[in-house]
Amino acid sequence: MDEKTRTAAGIAASLQGITYDDKRLAELAAEVEVLNDAVRKAAAARLTFDDEPAAFASLMEREARK
Amino acid sequence: MRNDDIALWDLSEVSDAIATRRISSVEATEACLARIEAWQPRVNAFLRLYKDKALAQAKAMDTELAAGKRRGPLHGVPMAHKDMYYRKGELSTGGSEIRRNWIAPVTATVLEKLDAAGVVELGFLNMAEFAAGPTGHNEHHGHCRNPWDHSRVTGGSSSGSGASVAARLVYGALGSDTGGSIRLPAAACGVVGMKATYGRVSRAGAVARSWSLDHVGPLTRTVRDNARMLAAIAGHDSNDSTTSEKPVPDYEAELGNGIAGLKVGLALPNDGPVPLDAGIGKAVQAAADTLGRLGAKVAAVTLPDFTALYRAAEVMVKCEAAAMHRPWMEKTPELYANQVRTRMEAGFFIPATQYIDALRLRAHFVKEFLSTSMEGLDAVVLPAIPFPLPTIEETDTENKGGPAVLKMVAGFTGLTRPFNTLGVPALSLPCGFDANGAPIGLQLVGRPFDEALLYRIGHAYQGATDFHTRVPA
Repeated sequence: MDEKTRTAAGIAASLQGITYDDKRLAELAAEVEVLNDAVRKAAAARLTFDDEPAAFASLMEREARK
Repeated sequence: MRNDDIALWDLSEVSDAIATRRISSVEATEACLARIEAWQPRVNAFLRLYKDKALAQAKAMDTELAAGKRRGPLHGVPMAHKDMYYRKGELSTGGSEIRRNWIAPVTATVLEKLDAAGVVELGFLNMAEFAAGPTGHNEHHGHCRNPWDHSRVTGGSSSGSGASVAARLVYGALGSDTGGSIRLPAAACGVVGMKATYGRVSRAGAVARSWSLDHVGPLTRTVRDNARMLAAIAGHDSNDSTTSEKPVPDYEAELGNGIAGLKVGLALPNDGPVPLDAGIGKAVQAAADTLGRLGAKVAAVTLPDFTALYRAAEVMVKCEAAAMHRPWMEKTPELYANQVRTRMEAGFFIPATQYIDALRLRAHFVKEFLSTSMEGLDAVVLPAIPFPLPTIEETDTENKGGPAVLKMVAGFTGLTRPFNTLGVPALSLPCGFDANGAPIGLQLVGRPFDEALLYRIGHAYQGATDFHTRVPA
């Protein structure tokens, strides 16, 4: 079991109370790594302290054709 | 009228004929019921059919009309909806085994609106389990089959909505779209599907897949029909705090304004999870050429990095779905199809910070999209599904699986899911047929709350083409 899979195993057992076999944990660790990396990279290039989720809804209202 | 079989008329033709009492709502309902009887064994579009109730409702609508009361432009029109819209005191399965016998405690806002508009409800339609799946497979209630070729997928998750509208079993149907689930079945079945702007239509009383990305919308045979149906269901709802208070425009009023001078961007993206098929690209290019002949100024456009938009959407869906499904995933995991359950499991491992960042990124993604791809444009056209429609067997992730199958299934949403992240309106309409005779879908994308303009473009296109008039045999 590699480090990422061990981390996933720890999250599953200790934080979420869910049991998966080693094969599935390895698959999930790989899947989460791809998703996390993509969001982390996008966030690093764009987000600042003042960004909040609700900005999306206000922007949509503001950007509607007048 | 172009056909003796009322079931083959469009929603608008039927509603106008009912309004002028050339036909009755009962006659329209009976025509649909006859067609359903013939087609249901072939396509498995309906999960529940309420024949007697629908006829009684149609009779009541006719009585109202005879007394001089017309509720609106959908008065007496028969429809059916994806089985995820709650009606208080009635079954609502969400396409699942878990809720096979579940009784809804409330009525969905969109159903209340259609009730008020006088729509006749024929029943509820097949769908992917808990709206999770882009193909139309359903392990519990049977796969929905494409009316054009029963061996091929309908697209999902609003599989029954696409199939029933295409086969002329109903005049319109509600679907829902978290990653393409209105536009994919519309494209695959050769009908029109609108994912309106996030917040345009209430989600209250609908099975959630992802609160942040779910969009409720109509599937119909024509753009005019779609505009009429969206007008009936759109608007603010105090039961859904994400709905907009913007007034709902008269979508039909602008349909005939033509598209001369509109600026349309053409995107034929080849960098998604699967490459764009040459035949699909050719059909979309031809559609863009048609828009050009109608007076639009068409130019090639580059889309934003779909990978970031796609992954952000995946983070939102997986986290939200894992949270809402957790009790069932722990207690009765065997009641899910494997591919439905396993697609949610990563949500238990994604850090909350990443989920929140995905939400915070949306405003940035929208700004970038509007200031780059959409800059100076009124709309962007692109394919809905990047490849010819596969068969049900070829996309059977539950029983077949394997990397190639999984990649193909993931590829379905490659060109649709990013617009759920952006929340902008996207309309799918038929623009041709592939080498197997299955429909090809054109996607029109616009600025926030620009549904009227997309309808205008789509209506002009349908005035110059006949793909939407063809009926599966």
